[in-house]
Amino acid sequence: MLKVPLSVDERWNLIEKISKQTVEFGARKHTLKDAIAELTVKPLTGIPVAIAVLYGFWSFFIDFAGTLFTDGFMVRLFDEHWLPWLQSVFPGGLGNPFYALLVDAGHMENGVLVASDNCLESFGVLTSGFFVPFGVVLWAVLAFYLMFALLEDVGYLPRLAVLVDTVLHKIGLHGYAIVPTFLALGCNVPGVTATRPLETRKQRFMMITLLSVFVPCGAQIGIMQDLVPELMGWIFLTLVIGYLGFGFILNKIVAGKSPEIIMDVPPYRMPMLKNIVSKLWIRTSRFLLVAVPFVLLGCLIVGLMYLTGAMDWLATVLGPFLMSWFGVPGETVAPLIAGFLRKDLAVGMLGGLMEQGIMTTFQVFTSVVLLCIYFPCLATFALMLKEENWKEFLGSIASLIAMVLVYGGLIHLVGIMLGVA
Amino acid sequence: MGHPNVGKSVFFNRLTGAKVLESNYPGTTVDFTKGWMRFGGEDVELIDVPGAFSLEPKDRAEEVAVKILEENRDSVVICVLDASKVERGLYLALEIIERGYPVVVALNMWDVAEDKNIRIDAEKLERILGVPVVPTIAISGEGFKELVSKIKEAAPVKIEKIIENAGGVESAAVSG
Amino acid sequence: MEKKLSEMDFDEEGTVKEIEETLRKQVAGMGIREGKNIRMATKQPIKGPVVVEVDESLTSLGLGVAKKIVVEVG
Repeated sequence: MLKVPLSVDERWNLIEKISKQTVEFGARKHTLKDAIAELTVKPLTGIPVAIAVLYGFWSFFIDFAGTLFTDGFMVRLFDEHWLPWLQSVFPGGLGNPFYALLVDAGHMENGVLVASDNCLESFGVLTSGFFVPFGVVLWAVLAFYLMFALLEDVGYLPRLAVLVDTVLHKIGLHGYAIVPTFLALGCNVPGVTATRPLETRKQRFMMITLLSVFVPCGAQIGIMQDLVPELMGWIFLTLVIGYLGFGFILNKIVAGKSPEIIMDVPPYRMPMLKNIVSKLWIRTSRFLLVAVPFVLLGCLIVGLMYLTGAMDWLATVLGPFLMSWFGVPGETVAPLIAGFLRKDLAVGMLGGLMEQGIMTTFQVFTSVVLLCIYFPCLATFALMLKEENWKEFLGSIASLIAMVLVYGGLIHLVGIMLGVA
Repeated sequence: MGHPNVGKSVFFNRLTGAKVLESNYPGTTVDFTKGWMRFGGEDVELIDVPGAFSLEPKDRAEEVAVKILEENRDSVVICVLDASKVERGLYLALEIIERGYPVVVALNMWDVAEDKNIRIDAEKLERILGVPVVPTIAISGEGFKELVSKIKEAAPVKIEKIIENAGGVESAAVSG
Repeated sequence: MEKKLSEMDFDEEGTVKEIEETLRKQVAGMGIREGKNIRMATKQPIKGPVVVEVDESLTSLGLGVAKKIVVEVG
């Protein structure tokens, strides 16, 4: 008598018996789709294709979000109409605390308080607080999720996973880890959620830690691209080296298994428009829901800290440390604090500092990288608390602090050695 | 339940009319979604289970799928198969049947199978398995009415019975 | 001739002869089983994963996993 459940062989024998009687396989057509399906996963052809796909992704991101919407339309709208209008009609005027919080804090030039001429410098809740999410970030995130949904629905991602498995397996991760990494480039929050399919706790822990440190989100990238387009290549290179380097180290330190990949590589499929649109809508609206309140709150808190003098105090206290260890001026304290709430806002504040001309190019570069790696934004942080157990969470925080200190210091050191710091 | 990327979520959305974030391809989440569908005058809960190839989990998505199945002992399982890869799909379907769940088999992506010159005798398959088998095309909604009408016909089947049916039909064919 | 799946050349075909016990159940649902025709679709360089084709489906397996499968070729 048979034992239930059947053994693997018994079950397959039964299936073959059934299939013989019910399924008729006609002549197999080897289609163009089959050929492409294989070509895109073969290293010799697949890697160039992957580079082309990612380059196309990036170009679209820059052209659509950066050039077309932000520079072409939003910057003008905000800087030439919204800001001057508010400056002229809002009661109080320069120097009034209420006005400073909501519209324009202004800045010192030769000992005189002058009004800001753009929405990054002004730092009011109604100016920067709206410009950052709606002027820049929304378009970046929209462009990102559109491309991501396309790649996802066509079925390209598993192929990318196979191609990068070679490298990622060396640092104890799956090729599949590319999916949360990629998704985190849109926003770290869904990126952290997407680590759930990873098999072992070790892989999840590593992935969440690396994500929250080395993967900038779309909002941040959008602002970075707006501020320092010429430095983007170096910034990404630095982050990739950090991701792989610290991944390698974590893999050695963290106990646990890193099983190998066993993954179905599905055929390509025509994406469904309805599906893409609904994904785009859900992801973007979720993003706005998380981001906008934090940006506004961030503006308010930073504004209050300036007004009360807390910011200057912190800059004086932490300045020497920031200067000696990372090589960045004390003024970066403000963006670093804002970065606890929102990274995009923080990078925007850095833009304000840049326009005042108090930083060298290398200092700008270092601060942008520091902002990426030093602490995940509050939303990501909260999610980490939820996704990891206490031990893992503390581990993540400890690794995070260690990575920032070591890597930030290292960047400074390399800068000194190259003579640019 | 069914393999990843066979259109389970499209199925789910059609049956429940719910707005659910669908991930077509491995990528986004192993979360599962619950929804409600009208069935025989009452609301019935429907769970969209993460994609799985077998009940012997080899990754987290499959672990979650098995867990959901075990936590809902008295439910009917709609098993969504890729009609163009029916053998692989039957493996999962049989595993679920062996565990004693009443099953309805949906041969989804029927059009893709036709394009590939694969012809499946759904009626015969239904006779052998002893569970309802319905060809469907999730993206256009074909076969859904029939599928829903057959849910109540689903009943647990003993695997011995299926083996007998499969063997029986075969020997009859030889002698005939 | 028998060899490990991991040792198969690009585009080589063979028949699955033996799968290590722990792995058998894991890959059975994806259609990889003894007696099946298997083709090496791609091999990634520097000890990367392989992609094999069984019944017109592509499956990616880590090299260590591929070592646990013996194939009869030629």
